[in-house]
Parts: sequence; structure tokens; C-alpha cells
Amino acid sequence: MTYHGKHRERRAGLWRRRAWSVAALIFLTGLLGIPLLGLAQDAAGTAATVAYRDIPQLGGSRNIIWVIAQQHLLLAGFVLGVPIFAWVCEIVGVRTGDKRYDKLAKEFTKLLTSAYATTALFGGILLFMLLGFYPKLMAYLTDIFFPSFVVYCALFLLETVTLYLYWYGWDVMQGGGKKGLHLFLGLLLNVFAFFIMIVPNSWATFQASPVVVAEGSALARAWAATWNPTWWPVNVHRLIANVVLGGFICGAYAGMRYLSANTHEERVHYDWMGYVGNFIGVFGMLPLPFAGYWLMREVYQYNQQMGITLMGGFLSWLFILQAFLIGVLFLGANYYFWLGITHRIEGSEVKYRRPIMAMLVILLLCLGVWMTPHSLVASLEEARKMGGTHHPLLGVFGVMSAKMTVVNIMILVTFMSFIIYWRAGKQVTATWAKVAQKVMGGVLGLAAIVVIVLGVWGYFVPAIVRINYFSVAQVLIVLFVLVTITPLTGLLMKSARTTTEMIWGRMPPRAGYALVLNAVMVILLMTLMGYARSSSRVHWHIYGVMRDSSQYAYSPALGYAAAFMSLNTFVFCLLVAFIFWVATMGDKAKAGEPGTKKKLPAGAYPAMAGGSPTLDQREG
Amino acid sequence: MSEVALLQLIGLLVVALGVAILLFIQARFLRVVGFVMIVLGTFALIALSIPQMASLPPAEEKFDVATIKTSADMAAIGQKIFFSKGQCALCHSIGPSESARCPDLKGIGAKLTREFIYESLTQPQAYIYLDYRHEGPPKQYPARMPHINKNPIGLSNNEILSVIAFLQQMSGEPITVSPSEILQPTAAAVALAQAR
Repeated sequence: MTYHGKHRERRAGLWRRRAWSVAALIFLTGLLGIPLLGLAQDAAGTAATVAYRDIPQLGGSRNIIWVIAQQHLLLAGFVLGVPIFAWVCEIVGVRTGDKRYDKLAKEFTKLLTSAYATTALFGGILLFMLLGFYPKLMAYLTDIFFPSFVVYCALFLLETVTLYLYWYGWDVMQGGGKKGLHLFLGLLLNVFAFFIMIVPNSWATFQASPVVVAEGSALARAWAATWNPTWWPVNVHRLIANVVLGGFICGAYAGMRYLSANTHEERVHYDWMGYVGNFIGVFGMLPLPFAGYWLMREVYQYNQQMGITLMGGFLSWLFILQAFLIGVLFLGANYYFWLGITHRIEGSEVKYRRPIMAMLVILLLCLGVWMTPHSLVASLEEARKMGGTHHPLLGVFGVMSAKMTVVNIMILVTFMSFIIYWRAGKQVTATWAKVAQKVMGGVLGLAAIVVIVLGVWGYFVPAIVRINYFSVAQVLIVLFVLVTITPLTGLLMKSARTTTEMIWGRMPPRAGYALVLNAVMVILLMTLMGYARSSSRVHWHIYGVMRDSSQYAYSPALGYAAAFMSLNTFVFCLLVAFIFWVATMGDKAKAGEPGTKKKLPAGAYPAMAGGSPTLDQREG
Repeated sequence: MSEVALLQLIGLLVVALGVAILLFIQARFLRVVGFVMIVLGTFALIALSIPQMASLPPAEEKFDVATIKTSADMAAIGQKIFFSKGQCALCHSIGPSESARCPDLKGIGAKLTREFIYESLTQPQAYIYLDYRHEGPPKQYPARMPHINKNPIGLSNNEILSVIAFLQQMSGEPITVSPSEILQPTAAAVALAQAR
């Protein structure tokens, strides 16, 4: 038998063993799932006797659920977000023939596969905890949603099978028509992942915006409850947010690997991966505020009191914190772009210094306005001097009209950072380039002016006009800028001449830290807004339907909650670091084999000691 | 030491530990951990520096037959049920509303008899009062009127009578439901409630 023949046989054997493992895992999951469903049904019968259970010695039921649910949701966000851009990267690899994209897509999927089991584990723990701590609530939800529980289990099985086929079949399905099958598996993975996300979303959104569930078949009742007013806004918001989370976490992973890279190849690869991760995060971040705005509109339309609790009640200061986090995220993402322009493209530093400074000033000013609270904490004497709790000047910036305006300006600035990065080191050659550039400049300038004019005008019109027309118009204008300038720039760049090659692997260590910072900001944001969504229900398990009569029916103050969010974020970061460390153990072992990779000389270490471009070039 | 002061102290310690790690430790992973600790500690300290307000739940209302002396007492309890357990306000408004998915109930106690209201609550499809058809464009989340006396809402007869009393009072009509119609709980039910 030839070597290739043996290799094929060995591969087939390996494949058979993996197939058996997958089958066994599915069977086991199914076996585990059945008693869970039974438990859920049993809970309906016994709920009348016990409404709550608690373990005060471990911090109380609510805090336990808080930690477990948060870890599960963050992991789930990552696990559902990553397949989207892993699949897109694979398609780009196929279409361009660039093997780097395929390698990157595979690396993303490796992270996804290793995080998947932990996500399911936390999901299982969460379910057991909920059944134990909140039997009455779970009985009520089970009574309504039981058919969707079954659908959820089925989806999980399908997702697991598809993920294993997608991951373990990667190398086997590279050649010929098999790549098409692999891409189809990637599509299926995303379809199942999308449904896995929206099914539990219906349970959570029903708690926030329940509709009346009349009699009917179990399926009809479950569907009626599923189709509630905030279901789709949350679905869309979470879908985008998952991509952002996944992108920034992959970026942070690349940043970490870049900081600890020992070889030039590693530095080049992880610099590029960090760029792609940051790009995906920013790309998702731009439309995210619009999705959030839609969600808030639906909340207000569903129940004005809930909207007021969020925006004007005890949670109003939360949005100042949100502004701080998003502001830092915008700054971090832009800073990373600017570092890329100045370090990867030689000669760009001088050329783009002034625009970068201008963008930084605009971002800081916008952040200042966004973070200005509507009313200030002031002593009686201070309030008298100000003529009320609203500062005569700062009070003007504390209202929604100002905040909507600066958010849109920040999106435009971030978009411009990306466009500058895209165009840096290239010279346009198209005959229509001048006209196109004038059109793009005009569109951007005009859009900025109209956004500001609408923002100022918003002070002089009733709130309903501002919310329904002006804010929507601002959003549409910014979207218009994104969808006109992006394809125009793409067309221009197609025929552009490269004047300065982009050199990967030369970013300073602070770029790695910027990527980590962005990921931490996104995770904190998700924990913060999870607290907001949960607290907006105030003392209801299901808003207006089932009251929380436990000792934990209150919503804790923001400081206490923020300490918990920080703890959750820290635990999640450590968890992800551990999962990624385990997942990449094999790579490190391979890299350690003699002769596989070139070790950098001491002076060329980029991360801690500061890179030396001269040495890098010599090494390269 | 107050809870806020304690958390501030912990936050400061976390930031200080992060700074110490960055200053004195060279291991790359630990340096990143130190950096994350500084970021998270700073975030918590900022959150602890703004006004601290917890949202406390209002006192829980209980349907206690013993407290009902007059028809007005029944209406007061009915109002609470209308906005909570009965879930009426999930769909109905009292007065015109853009967001209400079902008919406006303002003045309904004057338009319909108590028997008709009772039938509408317990057998909603028995007869559709023509004034309460959906007019104009269809609502985004149409809801079919549920049987109020069955699960998941499952109001008791006493609770339904109280809601009717509220609807009549809210419409400026004399309340025709009398406290004498309230069913007293049996000894077995009292024992069960006490056991719970």
C-alpha cells in the first residue's frame, strides 16, 4: 500500500472514530435532555407548594442566578456570533483564493468549538438553578412555552451535529466539490444558531413584555407568547451585539497572542487577526445604536412606564455609565485604527496626524456631551445658585436631543477612521475618482450638518416629534452615509495603485492592550444592559402578570450592580482565557517542534521590549 | 462601614493590585490580567461615585375578604386586580391610547350591564358587543380576549365581581355588586392558606 493510501485509510479511521464520538455525544445529550423536560413538567405540578428556594450561605439565589446566567449569556453570545464571521471569512477565502482567510476562519471555529461545550454546561447549570430557586415562575413559563422547549432541544442537537461536522470536516472537505458542502454546513450552522438565539429570547422578552395568552392548543399558546412586542427588536439587537462581542473577543485573543508571539510569522498572523477582529467589532458596532433605539421605541410603545423607569427613573444614571463604556469603546476602536495607519503604513504618520487629531477632539467632545447628566447631584445652596438641579449650560447637553446627535457624529467619525485606514497607502487611478471624492465629501459634510441641525431643532419641538421624526431622520442619514460611501470607496480601491505596502506585525504593544480593552468594554456593556433589561421589570418576574414576592424583589443600586458586573466580566475573561489556552495547547506544542518556526532574536520582540522595524525587516 | 464604602475600598484595592502587577511583573498574561483589573476597578469606582438608588417593591396587595365592608372596598380591590393579576391593562386602556391593543374601556360600566360584563369575562366569545369591534388598521399584536376565570389568569369569582365593581365605579355608575355576594372561604380553604 502506498503512503497516500495508508494516509487515506488512517484518515477514514479517524473520521469513523469521530463520527462515533459525535453520535454518542448526541445520544447522551438526548438522554440528559429528556429528564430535564420531565423535571420542567413536574415543576408545574409541585409549584403550588413552593414558590422560592434559596441558598443564603452562597450569596443568595438571585446572585447565584446572576453570575451563572451572565456567564451563560456571554458565552452564548460568543458562540452564536463567531460562526457568522467565521463562515463569511471562509467564503472570502474561497472567492479570493487567499488561504489566509481559510486559516483565519478555521482558527475562529476552533475557538468556537472549545467554547461551545462550556456554554452548554452553563446553560444546564442555569436551568437546574432556575428550576430549584424559582419553581413557581418556571412552572408558569413551562406551562406556556413547553412546545418551544422541545424545539430548543431539537435545535441544540442539530447545532451540535452541524458544528462537529463543520469543525472536524474542515481539512477533509477542502478539495473539489466538498468545499461547497462545507460552506453549506457553515450556512446550516448559522441558521440553527440564529434559531437557538431567538427561541430563548422569546422566553426572556415575554417576561418583559407579556401579551395575553388565551386558551388554545399548546402550540398556539406558545406562539402567542413568543410573538410579543420586544421579541424582534431584541432578536435583531442581540444578533448584531453577538457579532460585535465575537469580533472584539477574537480581537482580544489575537492581541494576547500578538503580545506573546515568539516568531515573526506569529506576529504577522496575529496582527492581521487582531485587525480583522477589531474590524468585525466596529462593523457591527455602527448599526448597533440603531437597533437599540428601535428596542427602546418598542419598550415605550408597549409600556410607557417601563420606558420611563429605564430612561428617566432610577435607571437613568445607568445610561451615563453606558455612554462612558460606549465612548471608551469608540475611542479604543478608533485608536486601534489610527495605530494601524501610523505603524503598518510607512509615511502615513505625517500625512494623517492632523485628521487623526481632529477626529480625537471630536470624539472627546461628543463623549463629554453624551456623558453629561440631565440633572446634577447638588446641595441646596448649589441648586439655588444654578437656579435648579439643571446647570444653565451643561443642562442643555443632558437631554436626548444632544445625545442622539453626538452618538451619530461619533459613528460618522469612526466610519471615517475606517475609510482613512482603507485608503491609506493607496493612490486612486480611476478617471471618475475626483468626482467620486467630491460626492463622498459632500455626502459626509452635508450629513454631519443635517444631523447637527436636527439635533438643535429638536430642542424646540415636542418630544413626540423629536422621537418619531427627528431621531429617526438622524439615524437614516447616517445609514445613508454608510451605504453610499462604502461601495464608492470599494470601487475606487479596486483600481487604486498601492504606493506603500502595508506591513503586518509591526504594531506596538499598546495595540494589543487596546484590543483587550475593547473586548472588556463590550463585555461590561452587555452586563450593564442585561442589568437594565432585568431591572426595567422592577418587582415583576413577568411584567404586570407575575409579581416577584421573594426577598430579592428589589433592584440593587447601580454601584452594587456595577461591582457585580465587574466581577462577572473578570470571571468571564478568565474563563475564556482558560478555554482558549486549552484550545491552543496543541498549536504551541507543534510550534515547539524543532525546525517548525523561526524564533526571533531578542531585540525583535515586539510586545514588551518595543519592536525594532529594522530588525523586523532583516528578519522578514 | 457602609456597603458603598466597602465596595469603594475593594475597587481601590483591585486597581492598586492591577497597577502593582503592571509595575513589578513581567509575565505577559499576568500583565494583561493586571490591565483588566485596573479597567474593571475603575469602572466600579465610577459607578459607585454616582447617586445610589435601589428600586424597592411596593407593598404586596392581598385579596382579603375580611377587609371588604362596602362596595367601594370591592372597587378598590378590583382596581388593583385590573392592573396586576387580572392583566387587563396589558391590552385595554382606560381612555384613548395609541398603544392599547384592545378596546378602550372608559365608560364601559355605563354601557354594559354587570351580567353582560361577567359573561364577557368568563365566556368572551359568547357575544361580541358591536361597539367594541376593532376599527381602523389592524393592531400590531392583536389579542383574543381570554377566559378570565381560567388559567393562566384564573381570577376567582370574588375577584371578577371586584373588577366589575371597579369598572362601574370608574364609569361613574352606581356599583351594583354587593359585598354580600362575596363568597366566604371555607374552613378547608383557610387551613390550606395558612399551611402555605
